[in-house]
Amino acid sequence: MRRLLPLLLAWALFCCSAPALAGGAGSLTIGITQAPSTLHPNIDSMLAKSYLLGFLRRPLTQYDQDWKLVNMLAETLPTFDNGLAEKVELDNGDEGIRTTWTIHPQAAWGDGTPVTTEDVVFTYDVGSTPQSGVATTELYKRIVEIEVVDEKTFRVTGDRITFSYNSFGDFGLLPAQIERPVFEADPASYRNRTAFDNDPTNPGLHYGPYRLASLDRGSSYTLEPNPTWYGPEPAFDRIVLRVIEDTAALQANLLSGAIDMISGELGLTADQAVPFAEGRGKAYNILFQPGLIYEHIDLMLDNPVLQDRRVRQALLHAIDRELLVEQLFAGTQPVAHSSVSPLDRMHSEDIPTYDHDPAKAAALLEEAGWTEIKDGIRHNAAGEELSFEIMTTAGNRNRELVQQVLQSMWREAGIEIVIRNQPPRVLFGETVRKREYEALAMYAWISAPESVPYSTLHSTQIPSAENGWSGQNSNGYANPEMDALLERLERELDPAERKGLWRELQRIYATDLPVLPLYWRSDAYVLPNWLKGVRPTGHLGPSSLWVEEWTRAEGG
Amino acid sequence: MSAQPGESALAAAARGVSGEAVSFSRLLARRFLRNRLAVAAGIFLVLLALAALAAPLAAALFGAPSQIDLLAIGQPPSLAHPLGTDELGRDLLVRLLYGGRVSLAVGLMAALCAAVIGTSLGLLAGYFGGRLDSLLMRFADSVIALPLLPLLIVLAAVDLGELGIPASIAQSEDVSLYRIVFLIALVGWTTVARLVRGATLSLKQREYVRAAEALGASHLRLMAVHILPNAVSPIIVATTLSVGNIILLESVLSFLGLGIQPPIPSWGNMLTGAQEVIWSNPMLAVWPGLFIFLTVIGFNLLGDGLQDALDPRSTISRRALRTRAAGKSVTPS
Amino acid sequence: MGRYLLRRASESLLVLFIMSFVIYGLLGLMPGDPVEMMVQANPNLTAGDIQQLREIHGIDRPILERYLAWLGSALSGDLGYSRLFAVPVEEVLLPRLGNTLLLMGAAFVLAFAIALPAGIAAARRPWSAVDGLVNLTAFAGISVPPFWLAILLIILFSVSLGWLPAGGMGQGGLGSTLLYMVLPVATLCLAAVGSHIRFVRAAMMEALRQDHIRTARAKGLSERQVVYGHALGNAMIPIVTILALDFGTLFSGALITETMFGWLGMGKTIYDAIMGNDYNLALVGLLLATIVVLLANLLADLAYGWLDPRVSYR
Repeated sequence: MRRLLPLLLAWALFCCSAPALAGGAGSLTIGITQAPSTLHPNIDSMLAKSYLLGFLRRPLTQYDQDWKLVNMLAETLPTFDNGLAEKVELDNGDEGIRTTWTIHPQAAWGDGTPVTTEDVVFTYDVGSTPQSGVATTELYKRIVEIEVVDEKTFRVTGDRITFSYNSFGDFGLLPAQIERPVFEADPASYRNRTAFDNDPTNPGLHYGPYRLASLDRGSSYTLEPNPTWYGPEPAFDRIVLRVIEDTAALQANLLSGAIDMISGELGLTADQAVPFAEGRGKAYNILFQPGLIYEHIDLMLDNPVLQDRRVRQALLHAIDRELLVEQLFAGTQPVAHSSVSPLDRMHSEDIPTYDHDPAKAAALLEEAGWTEIKDGIRHNAAGEELSFEIMTTAGNRNRELVQQVLQSMWREAGIEIVIRNQPPRVLFGETVRKREYEALAMYAWISAPESVPYSTLHSTQIPSAENGWSGQNSNGYANPEMDALLERLERELDPAERKGLWRELQRIYATDLPVLPLYWRSDAYVLPNWLKGVRPTGHLGPSSLWVEEWTRAEGG
Repeated sequence: MSAQPGESALAAAARGVSGEAVSFSRLLARRFLRNRLAVAAGIFLVLLALAALAAPLAAALFGAPSQIDLLAIGQPPSLAHPLGTDELGRDLLVRLLYGGRVSLAVGLMAALCAAVIGTSLGLLAGYFGGRLDSLLMRFADSVIALPLLPLLIVLAAVDLGELGIPASIAQSEDVSLYRIVFLIALVGWTTVARLVRGATLSLKQREYVRAAEALGASHLRLMAVHILPNAVSPIIVATTLSVGNIILLESVLSFLGLGIQPPIPSWGNMLTGAQEVIWSNPMLAVWPGLFIFLTVIGFNLLGDGLQDALDPRSTISRRALRTRAAGKSVTPS
Repeated sequence: MGRYLLRRASESLLVLFIMSFVIYGLLGLMPGDPVEMMVQANPNLTAGDIQQLREIHGIDRPILERYLAWLGSALSGDLGYSRLFAVPVEEVLLPRLGNTLLLMGAAFVLAFAIALPAGIAAARRPWSAVDGLVNLTAFAGISVPPFWLAILLIILFSVSLGWLPAGGMGQGGLGSTLLYMVLPVATLCLAAVGSHIRFVRAAMMEALRQDHIRTARAKGLSERQVVYGHALGNAMIPIVTILALDFGTLFSGALITETMFGWLGMGKTIYDAIMGNDYNLALVGLLLATIVVLLANLLADLAYGWLDPRVSYR
C-alpha cells in the first residue's frame, strides 16, 4: 500500500493541474466491466448505458434508493390524490388514465436550449414510428395522446387502467433541436445516424449534472460538469469511466490506483468481492447491496417427474441454501423464498418456506414413489432412477460453483444430478427460450420494483412456436388462480388491495414452486474510503442518478 | 538444398549408417539421450502421467475430486490436504491430478486425431497430386483462415443426440471434453497434412518406390508400406509438439468460458477459476498454472529432442519451416 | 511469374469469397440473437417489443437472404453499420486496426530483435550451455498460458512495484501511450520470442552446415565474417519468409492480451462483435484478417522466390 501512495499523489497532482470547474473535489475514476454500445437513450437497453446516462441525464420519474417512485425531471409526480392523474373515458369506450406532467422549469440541454414539450412530442414521434429502432415500443403504443399545454406542461392519456400509470422512466427525452432533422431525413436509418452515436460529445444531447467531454468507444468515457445543470452542483471536476472486462485485471487496476472505485452495477460479483474484501478490504469501503436479480432454478414442468409438486418441494428441502450463501458469499446474498424481493414494498412474509430438512425431503420423495435406494440413488417402483440434468451459463463461475455445491447436496439426498452447461448465447437464445431443457435450468431474472411477474408466470406467456417463442414462462407453469391474480394486479389501483393480491401471489408461488428460489444477487460496490454519498439502489436504477450527492471526504 | 523436404530419419540414416536396425535404433537412442533437456522432459512427463494415473489412489487418501466441503474452503496445506483445499473445500492435489488426466487426455487425443486426419489427407494429396492436391491444399488454407470462436459456440449448441450420438455420451458430463477434442482435430490437422504431403511428394520419386510400383504394387500398398513408414518422423515430431499447444489452447478456451466444463476438472478451468480469488488465495492459481507451464514446456522439449534424434542433418528443411509457420497458430495470445 | 501471381491471386479471391459465406453462415448458425440481450437488461420489454426489434434488426429473415443483401451492398462499397456501436463498421475498425498494429508491431519488432542475436548465438554452438539456455527460454515463453502471464505481470509491475499502469490506453500523447504499452507488449513478446528464436536457430544451423561455409572457413575467414557475412545471408531466406507469414496474423490481434490490458484492438473487437451478434462488424473484421493472412501468404511466396533464385514459379 505504501507504494500506492506516490502514484495516487502523482495522479492527484495531475488532476489538480486541470482547471477546477465545480466543487473542486478533483477527479474520480470508476472501473466498469461492460462497455455501453449505442448511447441513444431509447434504443437498446443495456446496464452499462443506463449507468453512463445516469450521469448525463435524468428520467421524468425514477424508483429511488428506498424503492419509492419519485419525480426527477418532472416537477411533481402525478397521482390521483394530487389531482394530476384522472380516469378518463376513451373514444373506444375503454377506461384510460390521463396524467399531467411539468418539466423542471430550469431544465435545459447542455447547449442552453430549454427542455420543453417540443422535445416530449418529438420523443413520442420517434417512439411511435416502428422502424426507428426504439426498444420499448409498447410504452408508446399504450399512449393514446400527448397534449401540449404550454412550453413545460403536457398531458398524457394512457389506453388502460394500470397501477404503473405514473411511472414514466423509460420515456427518455430526445433533443428535438438536434435530432428532429436527423430523424425526419429518413426514420428507417435514424438509429444509425443519430447524433447520440455520431456526435456523442455534442453538449446539447443531455441535460444532467455532467456532460460527455470525450470518449474512446468501448474503453473510456470522460465526463465534465454540465454548466446548464439545474440541480445541486456535483462535487467532482471530472469523472472517468474505464472499461476493464476481466475482473482479475479490474481488481489489479484498483490496487494499482489506476481506478478509484469499482461500480457495483457493473463490477465484481459477490463471490469475487468477498475474497477481495478479506485480502485487501481494509483499504476500501465495500458495500454489498442485495438487489432485484433473482437467481433461481427453472423446473421444466413438462417433465413427468417434476410435475409432482412433492418432488419439487423435496428438491428445495434437500439443499442447504443458508449454508451455501454463508460459505460462498459470506452471507452477502440473501436466500430467496419467492420471486418478490424482501426490499420490495409488496413483499410478504406470510408464505411457506423451505429449510434444509433432509428428513422432510426424504419423506416427500417416499410419498411420491421414489422409495428404493440403490447405490445411493433413489428409484421408483418401475426401477427408474431419480436423475435430473441441470444446465446453467457456461463461463459464469459464480453459477458453476453454486451448481456443483447443489449437485453434491442433492446427491446426498439420493438425487442424481448431471451438469450440462451451455454458453449464455446458447442457453438463453435457444434452450430456455424454446423450452428445450430437460429438467433444471439455473439463471437469473431481473425485475423492477413492484413489477408484476406476468411474463414469467401467466399461462399465456409459455413460449411456443405458435406465439413466436415470446413470453418468459419457459417452465410452462399454468395455474388459473395465478392467471387471474396477475390480471387483477395489472389493473388494481388501490394500494391496500394490491398488497393483498401480492400476498396471495407469493403464497401460491411458494406452495406450487414453479421454480426453485435460490438467492438474491448482490452488487458489490468497492469504494475508496474518502468517497462519500454513493447510495446503492438494488434495482436497475443506477446509483449514478444521484451523482450530485457524491463527495470527497476531508483528507481524502 | 541439403536434405530433401521431409526426408525421413530412416532414409537419411540408411544412407549414412549402413547396418542393421539394432545399431540404428541404438544410434537414435544415443542421439536422443545426448539432449539432456529432452531426456529430463521425457522423464518428467512419464512421472506426471503416472501420477495422473494414480489419481484415484490420492483420492482415496485425501477425498474424491468432487467431494465438496463448504466448511473447509481455501484451507492452507495440511496433512489431510497436502496442497490445501480449493474454493469449494475440495482437495487441491487430487483435483490437480484428475485435472492432469483430463488435460493430458485432451492433448493426446486431439493431437492423435489431428495426426490421423492430417496424415491421410497429406498422403492422398502428395501421392495423387494434380487436382486433388490443389483442392486439398486450398481446403487446408481455408481451414487455417477459419475463425475458431464462432465455430466453438456453434458446436456448443449442436444437439449431439440428434446427430445419432448415443445418449450415454451426449448427455454425460464428459461431453465438453469430446467437443474440444473434435474441434481441435477438425482445425489442427493442417500442419501434419502439409508435412506428410511434402514427404510423400519426394518419396514417391524414390527408386525403391518406383520399383515397387513397376512390380505392380497397388496404390494403397505403395502408400501404406513404402511411403508412410518413411514419412513417420515428422509426424511424430509435429504431434508431440502439438500436444503441448493443445493443453495451452484448452486453458485459453477455459478462460473464454468455452473449454472443459465443470464439474470435470481440467488445469485450464482450475486456473481460470482461481484467477478470481487471486488476491485472497494466490496458490490456487499458482499450482494449475505451474502444471500447465511445466507440461507444455515438457512436450516442447521432448518434441525438439525427438526431432534432433530422428532427423539430425536437417532440423528443419525449408519446406517444413514454412509449413510450421503456415499451420494454424492454435494459441491465441 | 505474372501468370503464377494471377493464379494465386484468383485462388485467394475465391478462398475469400467462400470464407465470407462460411463466416456469415457460422454467425447465423450461432443460437440466440441480440434482442435476447436487450430482454435480459430490460424487464419492461414486452413480447410485442421483442418481435418488433427482431424485424428492425433484420434477424427474422432467412440467413441466405441476409447474406446476399450484405454481399450486394459490400460489393458496392457499403460495408454497413455496426449494430453495437451504430456507426459505419469502418469507423469502429480502422482506429482499432491502428491500435492493434501499434501493439502487435511493437511486440513483433521487439521479439525479432531479441530472437535474432539469441538464435544466432545458439546456432553457433549447438549443445553448448548457451544453446541450452536459449532453448529453454524460448520454450518457456511459448509454454505459459497468456492470461496467466498477463495477470502475473500486472501483479508484479503494477500492484506490487507500482511502476507501470495495469491497463488502458493512456491519456494520449506519446509518452503516456508508450508507458501503457509496456506490459501488453511484454506479454505478447514473451509468447512470440520463443518461436522466433527457434526459427532463427534452425535456419542458422542449416546455413552453417552448407558447403560454402566450410569453404569460407577453410579460406581462413574470421568466424565473425563467416557467421554474419555468409551464413546469415542464407539463413535470412527462410526467416524472412516466416516473418512475412507471421505478419499476417498480426492483424487479427491478440484477444487475450487485449482483454487483460483493456487495449482496444482487433482481437477484442472481433470477439465482442461475435458475442454481441454484430454481424457486420464481426464479418468485416474477420474478413479483413483473412485478407491480410492471404496477402501475407502470397507475399511470403514472392519473397521466397526473390531471395532464393533457385525457386522458379510454375
